[in-house]
Amino acid sequence: MSIEIKQVEKTFGTFRALKSVNLSIEDGEFVAILGPSGCGKTTLLRLLAGFERPSGGEVVLGGRLAASSAMSLPPEKRHIGMVFQNFALWPHMNVADHVRFPIRHHKQTPPEVRKQEKARIEEVLKLVGLEQMANRMPHELSGGQKQRVAIARAIAARPSLLLMDEPLSSLDAMLRMDMRREIQSVHRSTGTAIVYVTHDQGEALAMADRIVVMKDGEIQQVGTPQDIYLRPQTEFVAQFVSKSNLIPGRWEQETFFPTGDQIEIAWAGQQVAETFRRSGQYPVRPDQLELGPVQDGALRGSILNVQFQGKEFHYDVRTSYGQWEVVSARPFERGDEVSLHLPAAERRQELRYAK
Amino acid sequence: MKTRKLRILLGAAVILFFFALPIARLVLLSVQGEGGWSFGVYEELLRQKRFWDSLRNTAIIVAGSTLLSTLLGAAAAWLMAYTDIAWKKTMHLLILLCFILPSYVLTLSWSSFMGSQGPVAQLLEWLRPGAAPWSVYSMGGIVFVMGIHHFPLVYLFTVNVLKKIPRDLEWAAGTGGAGRGRVLLKITLPMALPGLTAGGLLVFLASLDNFGIPAFLGTPVNIRVLSTLIYEEIIGFGPSAFARGASLSVILGLIAVAGTLLQWMSVRRSRQGETYLPDEQPRYHLGRHRFWAMPLVWGSLLLMSIVPLLSMVSLSLRRSYGGGLSFSNLTFDNYRYILLENAGTWRSIQNSLQLSVSALAICLVIGTAIAYLRVRRPSRWNGLAELIISVPYTLPGIVFALSMILAWMEPVPGWNPGIYGTTTLLLIAYVCRFLVLQIRSGVTAFSQIDPALEEAASVSGAGTRRRWLAVLLPLLLPGLLGGGLLVFLTALTELTVSALLYSSGSQTIGVAIFGFEQAGSTLYSTAMSSLIVVLIFVGAGLLALMKKMLTRKRGAHTP
Repeated sequence: MSIEIKQVEKTFGTFRALKSVNLSIEDGEFVAILGPSGCGKTTLLRLLAGFERPSGGEVVLGGRLAASSAMSLPPEKRHIGMVFQNFALWPHMNVADHVRFPIRHHKQTPPEVRKQEKARIEEVLKLVGLEQMANRMPHELSGGQKQRVAIARAIAARPSLLLMDEPLSSLDAMLRMDMRREIQSVHRSTGTAIVYVTHDQGEALAMADRIVVMKDGEIQQVGTPQDIYLRPQTEFVAQFVSKSNLIPGRWEQETFFPTGDQIEIAWAGQQVAETFRRSGQYPVRPDQLELGPVQDGALRGSILNVQFQGKEFHYDVRTSYGQWEVVSARPFERGDEVSLHLPAAERRQELRYAK
Repeated sequence: MKTRKLRILLGAAVILFFFALPIARLVLLSVQGEGGWSFGVYEELLRQKRFWDSLRNTAIIVAGSTLLSTLLGAAAAWLMAYTDIAWKKTMHLLILLCFILPSYVLTLSWSSFMGSQGPVAQLLEWLRPGAAPWSVYSMGGIVFVMGIHHFPLVYLFTVNVLKKIPRDLEWAAGTGGAGRGRVLLKITLPMALPGLTAGGLLVFLASLDNFGIPAFLGTPVNIRVLSTLIYEEIIGFGPSAFARGASLSVILGLIAVAGTLLQWMSVRRSRQGETYLPDEQPRYHLGRHRFWAMPLVWGSLLLMSIVPLLSMVSLSLRRSYGGGLSFSNLTFDNYRYILLENAGTWRSIQNSLQLSVSALAICLVIGTAIAYLRVRRPSRWNGLAELIISVPYTLPGIVFALSMILAWMEPVPGWNPGIYGTTTLLLIAYVCRFLVLQIRSGVTAFSQIDPALEEAASVSGAGTRRRWLAVLLPLLLPGLLGGGLLVFLTALTELTVSALLYSSGSQTIGVAIFGFEQAGSTLYSTAMSSLIVVLIFVGAGLLALMKKMLTRKRGAHTP
């Protein structure tokens, strides 16, 4: 089911949760809505589900007006599936009951599914790996199993849209990785459009076809995971998604000169978005910078703090341009003097070092 | 949108008509003189010695019983929350029993226990011939029975506060050099104080409201409190009986409202510790003290709850009051009489059952609906509605009863529905008074259900009806039944409101027992009280069974 969100507004009292949001999602697409808490991502999801009514604008689902400020189709008439943050399993029903419920009660359940209820329940439980658990009650399940039941329930009636509200946030770190794979395989095998709300950029980057980054009720950037990660359009996206250092300096056409007194460095910046050119900044991701022993003519810094992360180190490096975060596999100790390179940018511009 | 506004207005009108108007009528009547506003009735009242005597008695009884309840309740709460005393669950039920039993049943059991034919008298006679037990028909007796009846309220409030005191606070004081006594005095007691105050104020209100105990124990020896004084005024039917009753009611009502405000404030303060989870592990091990502490605690608890009850039952089985306890004096005649031979009592049992079942059904539906709105769509308006609905329960029963008489004799000027003195009026009164109990248990039940459970059903295609049937009701029912049981039992054994509102044909169980007692037919009143106790046990047992069956499948840890 395709989704059109046209100039949707939502206010709670005087608080504007959504400010004129426009977004279209195609059938079968996996879209992640990414943002910090309070950015309006959950409100947007609840509007799609039909739990809230927009204060302005329109929501069109599959070519049919689903909600405007004057009307809102109730959730039970939208033929959607939803996975909730805290599973929302019914404590008095067993696993099979949960899967059966939407098959029985959705008006738009495809007739072939409804006729073969039993086979469908088995099929869905198999898909999420719970075929042995059909008779278990929710309190007899682990966290991961609970979330699988929630997913099974959401897809059982072959909904045309699947909504997920931070479905992994109540699981522990290991389980989260497994469930990512699980959700990807559910998406592949059902082909349903998924709208996935999260505050974890790792989840969004790993699974989504497209990411919508939101802040303060507005969309900051929409793009593929690579777009978002490699070519941030706003300061917020650069910092929230790729943890970039925003380095102040001045732009001359396509070239950037960081502010500093040490040496003159120039970085090529064809890829950098217009916003940063206007604000005199250059976003550098921690993994873009290379650390090495001190060299003449290179940018220098000293290690302020080290965190060992297994396959790499996370450094705080003080330079005369400010304090930067750098990720590197090369070991240094606190207090070491190092040189920093930005290889991709430096190669392009054959340099104008200071004399 | 328009229909919504209309519905809100309609709801407001209904609530004001049923819950606020009667009180307004009462206040108006008390300040209406011959030709306009006047405080004449109050002035006359303040000149009467009877009024001042009743006020003094009320003050002494309320203060005394509140003190007794607070001491007993605090001690019970400490034992239950802090020590490893055995059989806590049974102990909890025994404590609650004192409050669940209607006050007149408790009164009858104590008067038969301490009476001239009771076990205490026999024991004293055997120890020292000529010695007689202390009479419960006295100020002291009223204070004592009331204190025992109400101490579970303090217990309930305090036990949770105590369990939520973080034990590291007490350890910190211990490592700081304080001994056990000092820790109790300097840490535990101050931290439990909000709970104690809230419970104590609740007892204050309950004692003010209580009619059964002073009516059974005080009236025969001319001890009057405000609630029995109002009753006598109305029953006495003087020329200005209603006006005098109304002004007395306003005074009593004002004291109750002041107490309620204080109680709210202290409850709010006692909620400060709400973020801590209750700590169920005992903090003091009785150890070798167990050998004297256990028998002492259990002995006093049994003496307070079960033993008087048994002596009431044994009294009800006697052929004659003075006959002593022997096999030849044993009979079921009293039961046969009240059940089969006296049409009036049978009628009263039917009335009470009918009334309490109807009140339960109405409260269950309306109360649950209001609770749903309060939890899922909270607004200032439905908050105000809940406040107004709670007024009839906040006011002393006798005050509320009088306001119902005044309101329903002629609800709208020129229209007399003719329900005064019928069971219909009693039903309206019960529903108005007890609705708030159902709302509160409903609110608790609803707030324990994650809204997402309902939303999950909704996105799964379930409409309103299906959501309630398949998800909400199965999850709510155990909680709602608890509130329902409270409404049912309170209505079944109600005395105060019924005593003013009944007329022949619409008498209730409470009124029938009161009637027997006033006529001096102690054997009949105890027999009927014993029947009520059996009814209560059966009802509570059935409900507990139902709750168990409903929650069995869900396991212990449900969200």
